[in-house]
Amino acid sequence: MSQNIVVIGGGPAGIEASRRLRDLGYTPILIEKEPVLGGHLARWDRLFPDGVEARKVLEPMLADLDGIKYFTDTEVSSINRLKDTWVVKLSNGLSAQVRAVLLTTGFDLFKAEKKEEYGYGIYERVITNADLEDWFKSGAAPQFDDVKVIGFVHCVGSRDEKAGNRQCSKVCCVTAVKQACEIKERFPEATVYCFYMDLRMFGRKYEDLYLKAQKECGIRFVRGRVSEVSEDIDGHLFVKAEDTLFGKPLKIKMDMLVLMAGMAPAASTAELARMVNVLPGEDGFFLPHSLIDSPCTCAREGIFYAGTATGPKTIPETLSEAASAALAIDRYLKSPQK
Amino acid sequence: MIDFGYGLTPSATLKIEKVDNPLFAELHRLEPDVTKCIACGSCTASCSAGVFTEMSLRRVILSLQRGREKETLPMLQHCMLCGKCQLVCPRGINTRHLILSIGKVYKMEDKAL
Amino acid sequence: MMKERILAAYDPFVLPFVFGMTFVLAYCLVALVKVLIQLKPADRQKFFLSLITPATIVKNIRDLFCDCLFHVKLWKRNKVLGYMHSSIAFGWFMIILLGHVETVLYIPERLHKLYYPIFFRYFMEVKGETLQGSFFFFLMDFFLLVILSGITIAIIKRFRSRIVGMRRTTKLTLTDRIGLYSLWAIFPLRWIAEGFTAGVAGGSFMTIPINWLLHNFMSKPENFTAAWWAYSIALGTFMTVLPFTRYMHIPAEILLIPMRNAGLPVRHTRKGFALAMLYSCPSCGVCIDACPMGVQKKNVQDATVYMVRNLKRRNPKRSLEIAEKCLMCGKCAALCQVQMDACGLRLAYRTSHEKEHNRIPADFGYLEAVDPLPQLGEQKVLYYAGCMSSLTPVISRSVQQVLKAAGVDYELMDKDGSICCGRPLMLSGRQEEARKLIEKNRQLIEESGARILLVSCAICYRIFKEQYDLIGVEVMHYTEYFNRLIKEGRLHVRNGHQTLVYHDPCDLGRGCGIYDAPRQALRAVGQLVPAAKEREESICCGGSVGSLTLRYEDREPITRGALDNLTANNPEQIVTACPLCLKTFSRFAPVPVADFAEVLAQNLEQA
Repeated sequence: MSQNIVVIGGGPAGIEASRRLRDLGYTPILIEKEPVLGGHLARWDRLFPDGVEARKVLEPMLADLDGIKYFTDTEVSSINRLKDTWVVKLSNGLSAQVRAVLLTTGFDLFKAEKKEEYGYGIYERVITNADLEDWFKSGAAPQFDDVKVIGFVHCVGSRDEKAGNRQCSKVCCVTAVKQACEIKERFPEATVYCFYMDLRMFGRKYEDLYLKAQKECGIRFVRGRVSEVSEDIDGHLFVKAEDTLFGKPLKIKMDMLVLMAGMAPAASTAELARMVNVLPGEDGFFLPHSLIDSPCTCAREGIFYAGTATGPKTIPETLSEAASAALAIDRYLKSPQK
Repeated sequence: MIDFGYGLTPSATLKIEKVDNPLFAELHRLEPDVTKCIACGSCTASCSAGVFTEMSLRRVILSLQRGREKETLPMLQHCMLCGKCQLVCPRGINTRHLILSIGKVYKMEDKAL
Repeated sequence: MMKERILAAYDPFVLPFVFGMTFVLAYCLVALVKVLIQLKPADRQKFFLSLITPATIVKNIRDLFCDCLFHVKLWKRNKVLGYMHSSIAFGWFMIILLGHVETVLYIPERLHKLYYPIFFRYFMEVKGETLQGSFFFFLMDFFLLVILSGITIAIIKRFRSRIVGMRRTTKLTLTDRIGLYSLWAIFPLRWIAEGFTAGVAGGSFMTIPINWLLHNFMSKPENFTAAWWAYSIALGTFMTVLPFTRYMHIPAEILLIPMRNAGLPVRHTRKGFALAMLYSCPSCGVCIDACPMGVQKKNVQDATVYMVRNLKRRNPKRSLEIAEKCLMCGKCAALCQVQMDACGLRLAYRTSHEKEHNRIPADFGYLEAVDPLPQLGEQKVLYYAGCMSSLTPVISRSVQQVLKAAGVDYELMDKDGSICCGRPLMLSGRQEEARKLIEKNRQLIEESGARILLVSCAICYRIFKEQYDLIGVEVMHYTEYFNRLIKEGRLHVRNGHQTLVYHDPCDLGRGCGIYDAPRQALRAVGQLVPAAKEREESICCGGSVGSLTLRYEDREPITRGALDNLTANNPEQIVTACPLCLKTFSRFAPVPVADFAEVLAQNLEQA
């Protein structure tokens, strides 16, 4: 009988790592607290930079789960070290004794209502990037009619010490550009603004997307962080920012504002870290052994990481890290026991 | 050297290599967080005085770093110290203390008074 | 029957006492003159006038007894400490008083001798008992016992402050220690000294047993003087070091009370009223435990007692640091036994520092061009949300919902940006500059014809109340106004039965004394549970604009401390009535934080 490995978190990283482990001859036990597998990817409509549908990435993965034991709606109750193994107890009453545990717990979307000044949850016309994906995916008619001016606010809860997240969430810039282009398709007459602090177009074809946004979609980019949003009697928004390149403050009336909520450490990180007795990094994400050459290993023997549990990442980065985690686990299990 | 008049006028170029900045160092000692600024402009956008005047704390900070304080110090005269900038600053800079400290370290040109 | 035993009415042992007493009296006299001279003429006049105003006279006498002798305030706070202080103060006072009464009764011609009533027992002998005599013997011994019990507690407190309910106590200076040990020594020595003479001069249940106990040794008159010398030296030492120790608060408070009751402002950091205040600090350390910054050990040295100490020692560096760091929440002042104006002192320091060192003078000329407000009708309410509220949209939105529900006709004062109320500027030490903002706002408000100025920010509210003198305009905090609307039946709310805890914002509670209005209104919409400490003892949220230097990361522990205090009784929601508290708490709160108006708006009864 093949060796069991517990994988905690059924997002792209967890699924991909489980598939790889299975291919290597192990039996992964994949645990997901939500009712379905897929994580945030399951909620997303299309992916940057080419606009590939998220389901086209996720569905083949979900169709290939043979040999993987997975449990949805299940949480980890406890993890304890027993000699050279980990005993993982689950909320469904089952438990597993394994030599390797992979943490693919991902991230939480930053709660945009925490930035009160943007009025999310107070103003109807303020939504988040995730709300927008929901709407794109549903294919429903627009919530508001007469949408003429739309704004995207980058870095909501990212690079923000007040929000408790000093780090850059990495993917929001390009997501905003992608969504700005998409919304322009829905509202061709609308003027779309992106308010950014720094545009971080680091990936292949991202710069092309940014150029397309300006050239083909006419998206207007303003370097300045939105500082406050107010509302008039009809529910239209007034957005304040400084155009820092021009050096003048501006106040603009908008019909819709999209907040690019960033990646915050998953709420479960602290709890799991306590269970396996490691300290998360200062930013709240798991801290791998080395950020350079061993991003998947942990200071504690038999614990491995993959995906955004160790910080913001794109989908391809997550998937390749899941593969390397599987290899790292394989090497660990095949190494002679002490 | 003969000036043929083709060079850029001194005020038009930024001589960052010549910025010897003991004043900024002193300011940094009083309020170390001044270097945390990422020039996002939140302070300027929500500034109470900015509704009525040219006040821009972001520009003030940048000009101090470039040794061109003369251009922006008069802005600070309009500051009401209301603290909105401190509240919106994503870096958690103590902007009120920064402004008060600038007033201690830098001196306004008399002609501007 | 009492008779003079030492006919010369003098013995060299009185000298240490006489020296100490003369010194302390002279010092206090000089200090008194100094304080009075340093007062601004207008303040001095105000002070003297208050001394002959009947109402203030009554208040002065009452405060002198309640504060100096009985320590009523301390009793309310801590019974053990209250007993300790009042037993020593009142007991000592009674012993001195009774000594004088005896002198008047038996040897009135000796009354002019400073030391006579103090060492009465030494100079007298008893010839046959009378009821009156025994009565005095008993009283003297009784008060001696009272004092000794107080001293015992004091000694225990010094070594184990937690026993008497203090977490932290002040670090004593060397002179403080000399004063302290001599004070501890005085009464046990008096007990022994009077015990020695009890055989000849008489005594009661305290002194007679001492006399009996060591009868053989005691009864020899030549042994008397050593004990009396020791007693006199202890007294003399205490009196001599007194002006340089915390015990200076004993005489200083006698001046401070009438000055405070005269309503004098703090105009300087160590002159006039401020000097009287510095002298009056008993270094008790109540302010250390009170200070919300105390959650971090490094801030303990920034408590008011150390501010006072550094001002006295003329240490400008530390004084400035302490003055600028303070949150100005006023909690130490509210708990202070001598009602030290801790914030006033710091503000005076900031003001003089700003005046001296700020080299970028303010220019608010642009305010002249600000457009007037629209004219309001008689019934109109002018709502000033304030700068901070534009960053917490939930407040202005909820206030407007409530106003609409109550059918109140209102106008927004700061739709398109506002002129700051001036309090942050004032707290930064820029008093004169703040006046310019105040003047402009006052003009705008008065010219609008508004009858009620509604304010939803506690910081703004305080300065509107204290500094604006708006004519014909009632300034109301929304907690007061909405509570009034509910009481008048204009605003209908339902009880959502949620458990709520109310946070008293510093400027609203301690600053303006508004504690009940918000609570009454909240009881109508939910179930109010108490915080561990509230009202006067409420803990600052940590976001205060009062602190100039406190960095963002150092505010977090204060906020968390305040949140722990609020959630002591597991409320479902924290309610506050200040935009700054709302924003500060929201970052770290374990339960939802809501604004006062928000809670009301959520529980409006649909008519």
